[in-house]
Amino acid sequence: ADWRGWNIHPEGYPNTVALEQFAKDAEAATEGRVKMQVFNGGVLGSQPDAIEQIQAGAIDFANFNMGPMGPIVPLTNILSLPFLFTGVDQMHRAMDGAAGDAFDAAMQEKGIVALAWYDSGSRSLYNSKKPITQPADVEGMKFRVMNNQLFVDMIGAMGGNGTPMAFSEVFQSLKTGVIDGAENNYPSYESTNHFEAAKFYSITEHLIIPECVCVAKASWDKLSAEDQAAVKKAARDSAQTQRRLWAEREKASRKMVEAGGATVNEVADKAAFQAAMQPVYENYLKENPDQADFIKQIQGM
Amino acid sequence: MGLMLLFGLFALGLFMGAPVAFALAFASVVTFAFEGLPLQIAFQRFSSGVSVFSLLAIPFFIFAGELMLQGGIATRLVRLAAAAVGSIRGGLGTVNVTASMFFGGISGSAVADTSALGSILIPVMKEKGYDADYAVNVTVTSSIAGIVIPPSHNMILYTVAAGGGISISSLFIAGIVPGVLMCLFLAVAAYAVAVKRNYPAEDFPGWQALLIAFLVSIPGLLTAVIIVGGTLSGIMTVTESGAFGAIYAVIVTAFVYRELTWEGFKRAVLNAVTTTSMVMILVAAANAFAFLLTIYRVPEQLTMLLQFVSDNPIVILLMLNLILLMLGMIMDMAALILITTPIFLPVATQLGMDPVQFGIMLMMNLGLGLCTPPVGSCLFVGCVIGGIGIEKAVRTMWPFYLAILVALLLVTYVPAISMTLPNMLT
Amino acid sequence: MPLEINDPQPVAAPRPDQTGPVAKALDGLAALCMMVAGVMLIIIIVVFGWLVWGRYVLNDTPTWVEQLSLILVVWITFLGAAVGVHRGTHLSVDFIREGFSPVPRFVARILADLIVFSFGAIMAWQGWTLVSAGMGRAVPMLGVSEAWRVAALPVSGVLIIIFVSARITRMVANRNLTTED
Ligand code: NA
Ligand code: NA
Repeated sequence: ADWRGWNIHPEGYPNTVALEQFAKDAEAATEGRVKMQVFNGGVLGSQPDAIEQIQAGAIDFANFNMGPMGPIVPLTNILSLPFLFTGVDQMHRAMDGAAGDAFDAAMQEKGIVALAWYDSGSRSLYNSKKPITQPADVEGMKFRVMNNQLFVDMIGAMGGNGTPMAFSEVFQSLKTGVIDGAENNYPSYESTNHFEAAKFYSITEHLIIPECVCVAKASWDKLSAEDQAAVKKAARDSAQTQRRLWAEREKASRKMVEAGGATVNEVADKAAFQAAMQPVYENYLKENPDQADFIKQIQGM
Repeated sequence: MGLMLLFGLFALGLFMGAPVAFALAFASVVTFAFEGLPLQIAFQRFSSGVSVFSLLAIPFFIFAGELMLQGGIATRLVRLAAAAVGSIRGGLGTVNVTASMFFGGISGSAVADTSALGSILIPVMKEKGYDADYAVNVTVTSSIAGIVIPPSHNMILYTVAAGGGISISSLFIAGIVPGVLMCLFLAVAAYAVAVKRNYPAEDFPGWQALLIAFLVSIPGLLTAVIIVGGTLSGIMTVTESGAFGAIYAVIVTAFVYRELTWEGFKRAVLNAVTTTSMVMILVAAANAFAFLLTIYRVPEQLTMLLQFVSDNPIVILLMLNLILLMLGMIMDMAALILITTPIFLPVATQLGMDPVQFGIMLMMNLGLGLCTPPVGSCLFVGCVIGGIGIEKAVRTMWPFYLAILVALLLVTYVPAISMTLPNMLT
Repeated sequence: MPLEINDPQPVAAPRPDQTGPVAKALDGLAALCMMVAGVMLIIIIVVFGWLVWGRYVLNDTPTWVEQLSLILVVWITFLGAAVGVHRGTHLSVDFIREGFSPVPRFVARILADLIVFSFGAIMAWQGWTLVSAGMGRAVPMLGVSEAWRVAALPVSGVLIIIFVSARITRMVANRNLTTED
């Protein structure tokens, strides 16, 4: 089978390198029965579009961030809860284990099979005013967040003003003070040059949202059990590569932003931030009471 | 095979005279079916193509341009230009070019420029003894300033067609020098022809009158300051600036100039809807078309082909310009921006050209196409206003084409003309 | 003598070239679409003004503006595009066709309209598929279903079918190959 794949990242990015490895390994392991072609840089559309494409069968596989998966597979909204994981290691434990299987099952009901989980790092707050060490520091500041009410509420719970804004507008807006800050991982903070406009990077690690390597259920079901196993193994192997490259990339980016004059500060009292998220969780559980046990289970992993 | 079907059906639709957007859409949908791709996804490309934040600026710019016309801003700009440069030999030709430069700084569209300034100036010029062909020639060619001088909704189309990643601020600011340069060349051509045909000069109305004309124009010119300034300073996004500019234009024309009637307002809204939907349906169709081009890896193949033909950047750029000029003669600008950008931009960047510079080159090149037969919307509008046939207008247009071509070649081969300002900005 | 420059006279709207109850009804339908789209355009402009005001003055950015506008612009586009079919305002390249002799020209006109018709029909059908697919999906920050955005497509598809079939019928009925349409 000839498979078309969607990937938003550019050439040379850890995810792109890993996906290329996945394509090569899977083709070799299935003796050419699965041939994959990856379209990088989001040339086939945005992620919500690509999710629809994989469901309809226009593309066969993809590397999705789990954030925008929420509107389609409601269970995965959990992954967008701030401070869900205490760190990247816990995220790996959960996603490579029972939690990942549960998300996969939920996604399969919507026609998407999750084979392996990639990193997209941990997102932290950065701004142009001051280092943030406690929630109260956020008060009165305007932060750009991604298009999700949860993130608006997250900044709101700290007393700030969460503003969804197109990613391409963020740099100018930081520079001119339209917003005071934004939130992202090191590599984005560095490659977008946001560190030039917002010097204070505070390691809040409030969001650790994994990415998946997914295959369309329709394409998946056409494979023999052996080929499925081979493709899955190739995907899992590529996840190891991606996580290693990602960690290297994060380190390099941190060095670059610090050399570029950014001030990075640790956040000693993360519990204070977690406590501040209480209303966000309460609100979320009010709307999704059936997910309470699963959230507890993930937090205990 | 699928690629041949795509282009074949598109060409067939065009030759039958189907609307460009529908020919494009129909060819794409059939090719989706041929490739076994779900048709639903073709229509997803349609709606996502239109549902783009920065494209929201397009209806705003178009609406603001309509208000300029309905509410007396254009008239005041022409009066200002007339007071400033009318006393030159063949003054109304130079006035026409100068007014286009001002108006271009507010309107984002060449057709709006032609219809606004043409309907004010062409009758006056004819009355003063200028030949209709000359009046039409100057009006039509100088209207390209509306595209090259910011703001320009065609530049927004270009950034979207390029797949994001090009800063609209850089593109806006990059257009200023080439736009002014082009107007300068056009003014020289207008002057030369005027001298040859012995056209009159107007009386200089005096410094006081010039000052008054300037002061009266300020509220209108501020629209440009709001839209361009808001964007360049980064205080607002280009979309927000466009909306603010539109609101401001309503206020100025209705309450300061007091010329905007309820009828005029309605006309502006409906005209804006008509133009917006014409442009945006092209965006929608081109988005499905581009999806197929991507799947067929067309840009990569074309780059390879061109490199096979020649490895001399000067030759390749000349070829690109020639192809674009020929396409521009037979098709409209918006459609061509959307179709050719994904194909030609990778070729240009491969040669080391900055996407911003390529964008300005594309604007001027396709802008010229708006003034040429057989398909040129500015030429058509200008000829209707001037009441002359297209052949008659085109026969004497060559000095003006030449002026634009010289500017185009300079922009193509001298990066500094377009890139100096944006490089200073960042 | 000082130069006098006055406002241009508004161009009179073209008179509808067809009369009769069907033509009147179609013109009315087109006018209704334009009115709806026009109101939507005004709404977008006003809410964007509100957005900038909220961000700078109230320090509370309304988060629904962007997504609402993105839905409305799809409606403006597809309603306006359908009306454009009726009024013949879309950009087209017709110099080749108009150079044909009368019979092939007539055939080409019918073919061009059949292309528009087929497209409208497929859009009505597949647009509806998109609506069903979008039903369960919420637009971020707005809470309404994604179906509201894509519903513009089937609606526009049906309008296009109506407008273009009327024109094809008219062309075939008074098959006058020599005069202009
Ligand atoms: Na302009
Ligand atoms: Na042309």
